Amino acid sequence: MTTVAIRLAETKKRRRSPLVERIALVVIGLLVLIAVFGPMLAPYDPLKVDLTQALLPPSAEHWFGTDVNGRDVLSRTLAGARITLSATGIVLIITLVLGVTLGTIAALGNRVVDEVIMRITDIGLALPSIILALGFAVALGPGLQSAVIAVSLTWWPGYARLVRSVVREVRHAEYVEAGIALGVGRWRLIRKHILPNSLDIMYVQVTLDVAAVMLVISGLSFIGVGAQVPSPEWGAMIAAAAGNVTNGWWSLLFPGLAIAITAISFNLAGDWIRVKQDPTLREAG
Amino acid sequence: MIRYLVQRVVLGAVVLLGLLVMAFAMVQILPGDPARAAAGRNATQEQIEAARQSLGLDQPLIAQFFSFMGRVFQGDLGTSVFTHRPVLEDIAQVLPSSLELVLAAMIINIAVAVPLGVLAAYRRGRAADVAARMLALLGAAVPVFWLALMLQMLFAVVLGWLPLYGQLGFGIYLTDITGVTTIDAMLSGDPYAFGSAVFHLILPAVTLSASFIAVIARTVRSSMITALDADFVTLARATGASEWRVVVRHALRNALIPMTTILGMQIGWMLGATVLVESTFNRKGIGSYMVNAVLQNDLYAVIGSIVVIGIVFVITNLVVDVVQLTLNPRLRDGTVRPKTSASGQLVARGLESSGKGAGA
Repeated sequence: MTTVAIRLAETKKRRRSPLVERIALVVIGLLVLIAVFGPMLAPYDPLKVDLTQALLPPSAEHWFGTDVNGRDVLSRTLAGARITLSATGIVLIITLVLGVTLGTIAALGNRVVDEVIMRITDIGLALPSIILALGFAVALGPGLQSAVIAVSLTWWPGYARLVRSVVREVRHAEYVEAGIALGVGRWRLIRKHILPNSLDIMYVQVTLDVAAVMLVISGLSFIGVGAQVPSPEWGAMIAAAAGNVTNGWWSLLFPGLAIAITAISFNLAGDWIRVKQDPTLREAG
Repeated sequence: MIRYLVQRVVLGAVVLLGLLVMAFAMVQILPGDPARAAAGRNATQEQIEAARQSLGLDQPLIAQFFSFMGRVFQGDLGTSVFTHRPVLEDIAQVLPSSLELVLAAMIINIAVAVPLGVLAAYRRGRAADVAARMLALLGAAVPVFWLALMLQMLFAVVLGWLPLYGQLGFGIYLTDITGVTTIDAMLSGDPYAFGSAVFHLILPAVTLSASFIAVIARTVRSSMITALDADFVTLARATGASEWRVVVRHALRNALIPMTTILGMQIGWMLGATVLVESTFNRKGIGSYMVNAVLQNDLYAVIGSIVVIGIVFVITNLVVDVVQLTLNPRLRDGTVRPKTSASGQLVARGLESSGKGAGA
């Protein structure tokens, strides 16, 4: 009974109603569906140029209007979900692998290794990732692929640090000490005991990072080193429509809204998971 | 304390050195032959070889690296392929304009974030608090380059209140004295030009500050909450001081210390964010210079920009450390471990990676 009462009090204390988070999760679900089936849902071919249909305002036929090349903005925005989300996903996977590997090595390796890895992370954290990523992207040549590699190369240091600090903490936990005492092998200890207990915090970080990574990737595409011209990547769409501020607001508005809605949903979901995982945060006002 | 400062300087130097190593690596992985690029499109084989020798590209990699470092320390960041001028000269010419933009954005940032943070703390859960939270959510989600275009559309195209882009109105010419348009206008004693320069500065500065306001507002809010509950505030109330005086003189003054740290770090972050803002508003600056360099494949200009932004970062972080030391006496005698820039940078990175209204 008392537990229920405490729970209720906690729920009342929660800042946002769970409804908002539920909506965010539904939106994320929809986005994933769009990413998978987007091209099928699109009413028109997202790449088909038809100059007779250029810059038509939103109508029953073209809900989001058409862009300067007469392409249907709705179809392009839907098709873009797959490109933007998968690029973001790949960056996060590479980041996670690099960060966890290097962070674990730094935490468990000797001082020299630790020092070297940490100084590299210093550089990575010393600059906004878009600046470093621009450098890598130029060196690698333009294209979504280079953008993905470039962002991954600049994004892992934060993860390496996080993993390092968590692993260093977990290493001295009783169950790990017990494992050492029992003579469990080093590799098995890392794989079976240390890493699984260090990774919870990673899931939260990844969810929270979706928005940030997406913004950098679309930013690179906007500048012109990411996804290239006909691609309906959202940042590239905004770049292509930038010249139509005066005569085609719709071609500009919708891809940006798509980015913002996706980012907000993932941020809300990330916060929600974090609060759920960490009861101490629940009371923070 | 001295030891701590020396530590920070060394760390800054290591970061810069690392950046240079990375810059050198970028030159190496660039596809294509730099000697051919330097010699020009129609160069003969002999000319390419001559260029290779004069650039030192026939030397072993390690020798190339040291000569690269030597040149950088002499202030030689290479020559721009596009402008045919030394990169450092190019950057020196445009950097003041970026600093003007960053300063303007900083003023907006403080002017909005501090009152918002104070109100949010003072009336928790009320309108200002909700507004601060919404702003945080939006600030971390709305792409800055899109915001720029949306603001242009609303305030320049639809409402016509502010200029679409540029730094000065048509027909206004200023001699370039400092490179900062507003200051040049002031120096030339032309109030109309000054007004025009300020008008042209508003939209880009608002755009640039947008994603930073929420972070400051949140910092002020949480330190204000702590300050308002502190004994010295209760005491101030007990002496019968007016509520305004209690909040502003006693609570806010103490709550502003954590803010200064983050503000300092934001300078570097804002300078980095100019790559997404300046070109859209057709402003000169290191951001638009870097974007042009990127699009022209002008590698040395790109690397030069990275190095200069890196230097600004390291310097602002050092200043932040020093300011922190002077503001917080407990750091000086070593009883309290300072928040290192490393963790500080993580806070600043929060602007980018998790700068939303999450933690209280």
